[in-house]
Amino acid sequence: MSDTSTPEASRPTSAVVLAAGEGIRLRPLTSNQPKPMLPAGTRPILEYVLNALIDAGVDNLHLVVGYQANRVRSHFGSTYRDVSITYHTQETQLGSGHALFQARNGPSGSFLLVNGDQIIDHRIVEAVAAAHTDATATLAVVEGPEAVNYGAVDLDGDEITELIEQPATGEFRLFNAGVYAFTQQIFETLATLSVDRGELPLTDAIEQLITATDHTVGGVRTDHFWMDATHPWDLLSLSRELLSRGWVDVPAVDTDIYVDDTAHVHPDATLVGPVVVDSDVIIEAGAVVGPYAAIGESTTVGSGSVLRDVVIDTDTTIGPNTTAIELVIGQGCDISAALTAEGGPADVVLGEQVYSDVDLSGVIADRVDIGGSVTVEPGALIGPGATIGAGVIVRGQIDAGSEVVR
Amino acid sequence: MCGIVGSIGRGNETVEVLMNGLRSLEYRGYDSAGIALGPEMTVLRRSGELDSLSEVVDTTEPTGSYGIGHTRWSTHGPPTDNNAHPHTDENSLVAVVHNGIIENYAELKAELQEAGVTFTSDTDTEVVPHLIAQAVAAGDDPETAFHNTVDRLKGSYAIAVIIDGSETIFAARQGSPLVVGVGDDCTYLASDVPAFVDHTRDAVFLEDGHRVIATTGGYTVLDGERNPVEVDVETVSYTAEATGKSGYNHYMLKEIHEQPTALRQCFSGRADVFDGTITLEEIDEIPQPNAVQFVACGTSYHAALYGAAILREMGIPAEAYLASEYALSPPPLSLGTLVVGITQSGETADTLAALRDANGRGVSTLALTNTVNSTAARECDHAVYIRAGPEIGVAATKTFSSQLVGCNLLAEELVDGPRDLRPLIESLRNLPDDVQSILDSSTAEALVEEYGDSEAYFFIGRGTNVAVALEGALKCKEISYEHAEGFPAGELKHGPLALVTPDTPVFAVVTGDDERAQKTLGNIKEVQARGAPVIAVTDGESDAAEIADETLMIPEMSERAAPVLANVQLQLFSYYLADALGRSIDKPRNLAKSVTVE
Repeated sequence: MSDTSTPEASRPTSAVVLAAGEGIRLRPLTSNQPKPMLPAGTRPILEYVLNALIDAGVDNLHLVVGYQANRVRSHFGSTYRDVSITYHTQETQLGSGHALFQARNGPSGSFLLVNGDQIIDHRIVEAVAAAHTDATATLAVVEGPEAVNYGAVDLDGDEITELIEQPATGEFRLFNAGVYAFTQQIFETLATLSVDRGELPLTDAIEQLITATDHTVGGVRTDHFWMDATHPWDLLSLSRELLSRGWVDVPAVDTDIYVDDTAHVHPDATLVGPVVVDSDVIIEAGAVVGPYAAIGESTTVGSGSVLRDVVIDTDTTIGPNTTAIELVIGQGCDISAALTAEGGPADVVLGEQVYSDVDLSGVIADRVDIGGSVTVEPGALIGPGATIGAGVIVRGQIDAGSEVVR
Repeated sequence: MCGIVGSIGRGNETVEVLMNGLRSLEYRGYDSAGIALGPEMTVLRRSGELDSLSEVVDTTEPTGSYGIGHTRWSTHGPPTDNNAHPHTDENSLVAVVHNGIIENYAELKAELQEAGVTFTSDTDTEVVPHLIAQAVAAGDDPETAFHNTVDRLKGSYAIAVIIDGSETIFAARQGSPLVVGVGDDCTYLASDVPAFVDHTRDAVFLEDGHRVIATTGGYTVLDGERNPVEVDVETVSYTAEATGKSGYNHYMLKEIHEQPTALRQCFSGRADVFDGTITLEEIDEIPQPNAVQFVACGTSYHAALYGAAILREMGIPAEAYLASEYALSPPPLSLGTLVVGITQSGETADTLAALRDANGRGVSTLALTNTVNSTAARECDHAVYIRAGPEIGVAATKTFSSQLVGCNLLAEELVDGPRDLRPLIESLRNLPDDVQSILDSSTAEALVEEYGDSEAYFFIGRGTNVAVALEGALKCKEISYEHAEGFPAGELKHGPLALVTPDTPVFAVVTGDDERAQKTLGNIKEVQARGAPVIAVTDGESDAAEIADETLMIPEMSERAAPVLANVQLQLFSYYLADALGRSIDKPRNLAKSVTVE
């Protein structure tokens, strides 16, 4: 492998990150922030993505932003871990090919491309960068039981011979992991593609390259970790996975217990690992937090509350004596005493589709105001800014901004 | 006025280092800019923003192995090419850049003119190169000529000088900021750290009276008696992030959006939530003052009004003074009074003068500032930092919000006596997300379409919301250049009401539902009766939203926190108004961020 790999000097060290999409299937959590900013544990998914790139030697980042772009800009600013960030704006979300095209004046020479909403091990990036030698495009290929968003591939040696967008289950076992390296040719190919379909997926351009006689598309097999959140409850499994692996950017104070030094944990509160408590969090007396609890910045957990298998984003206040299991809570919620959310399994309705037996108590979106002694029935989705009166039993979907009284 | 830079030891990268340094100091002024390069003594200078100088540099490609540079905010003489720095003597053997004011320049100029020297500018600075050249001509060596000249200057200055035939940068500090950047085999000089932070984070913060002799072999710091002084090299934590707009169109919008983070930083680690106490470690030891006098200018003065109001509510006599008035007509002071200077940069000359006056009268002084190691922080007995992070936009936004939180922390720390601060702590903890919720949902931009071509804009409020009204108007006039005025709501009928017409929208800041809110509702009806449209900035507690023509909503919040939120809505309105009018938002005409002249 070493004699065919790219010499250090010509390896791509610029990366484009696609972070413009809302992530419609993650509604109602995406009302104020794009999917890459949703919490993986207690940090935005995108932080993990940028960490993987920087750990793989990337020294120049280009972020394509669109939906709620200011959230991305304000969080990361002009540099992240001393690596400079250039922002490119995709005004309307017209697919991944269109998104990449917005960065056409960004990187010079060969560059890497990753999705801002998908957590990847930095070794996948390294593998793609190293394998990108003579090909016009190089893809990471993973073996797995289920199709990834980007479809299945046919691999002949180290060359991709076909992309199959919607493979029949079990037919193909190799998938496109969504980590790419390209030459500048990709921008020329994108420029020639028809926009009649309304959306321009990147895979259209890659298919062109595969069929073109003067271009090759390489594939590099990798079995390193990557993970995606497609539905709101996936944030729970994502958090579990990260906590189990110790991929937590908060200091460990004990085995599997991560507590930021600015957090206040009352001496009479109990943390059960794996658990992460981020900066300026308050955990009051008698609370039992964990296992698998991710408590975001400046959140307050009231006395006597029991939380496990939860992801709680920033600035939320949870009143005393709350029981929350398999619950996802957004930013800035105000939850009074004695909320009960006892966990799944649940049948969840997202859009037109029903998902059965999901391990989810419910989802509470940003800035929801909940009165005392509310019960969340399995599968409830509470929209942003909703107000739930005391004693209400919440079932099904509650619309954004609505008021529910008993 | 002005920012100065110097660099020696970087060989043919000197021009680039100087230009990038000036770029990062543009917040200090942008009326004109120039550089002087040795050993050829090449001087390039242009009126207008740095870009005009860049064009000249790009076309003429000057070279040099050391040099000085300047970006100017005019005080003496209009912003013309001739008044741009560096200034030189008649034979261009000495080049000087200067920030500050030489108070005795008229006298020195008369003396030089008598000796036959011809002046080519209206500036106070030009006396310096002529004096040095005269001394060199009389046989002094360059360093002696420099020292003898500096000895004769009165006023406030940071100057940097290069002299033909001496591969050296000479610099002096008296009353205006000057920092040495210590690199490997090279030395930088600048008014502020960002000018060299890309090259080194090791800095020496000079004190008044210090002089620097920098050569390719290193630097020496001397005192006014020309004796070497020991200085500490400090590592600064600035990051290059300060220089990027992060994809925003303007620094101002970036900084508006940074407020949740800034507010978190200001508050973090300063409260014990379980005990309900607030502690500022920096000033934990100071006893409760008998009275507090705030001194400040501009936006910081509005924060001072707010700080004084909350201290008075807590039973401490407190007043806010405009710093430019304070030193000249000082109010009576007793020994138990604490004088608090609020200054974002810590370098505001008027505020420093007021603090020095108070220091001179023997009372305790405290700087509430955003800039670690700034002159105010070093000269005052105490310093409290608001930790807002670098602010580049000339119109202050996030630093004002952080100053308001800083005032709360300061007041609670200063005032003794047991009380439960948990409600206040909770509201300060909620503030970042409440600001975020306004940023997520503000309708201020839409109001610009409706009211963007009005004749004038008025802003009213009562209590702590007076500060918000005044700040809302200041922001509006600073960046939109439109006529805007803020008034205490009750004062309107005593005069300003004559200005109110259907073409002058009135922004009424009404929070809570107390007597002040009720009385402001009365004032809203007064202006509506004159046909003016009213935009209520309100939390919905009172009937303001129902009465007003338009509303900008803020989340319900404690009385202490509500002004921060109301102000964010007004910041957004001013920003979008200025943007719609195509103004130079980050560098409004005639203004500079850090006003280091009195």
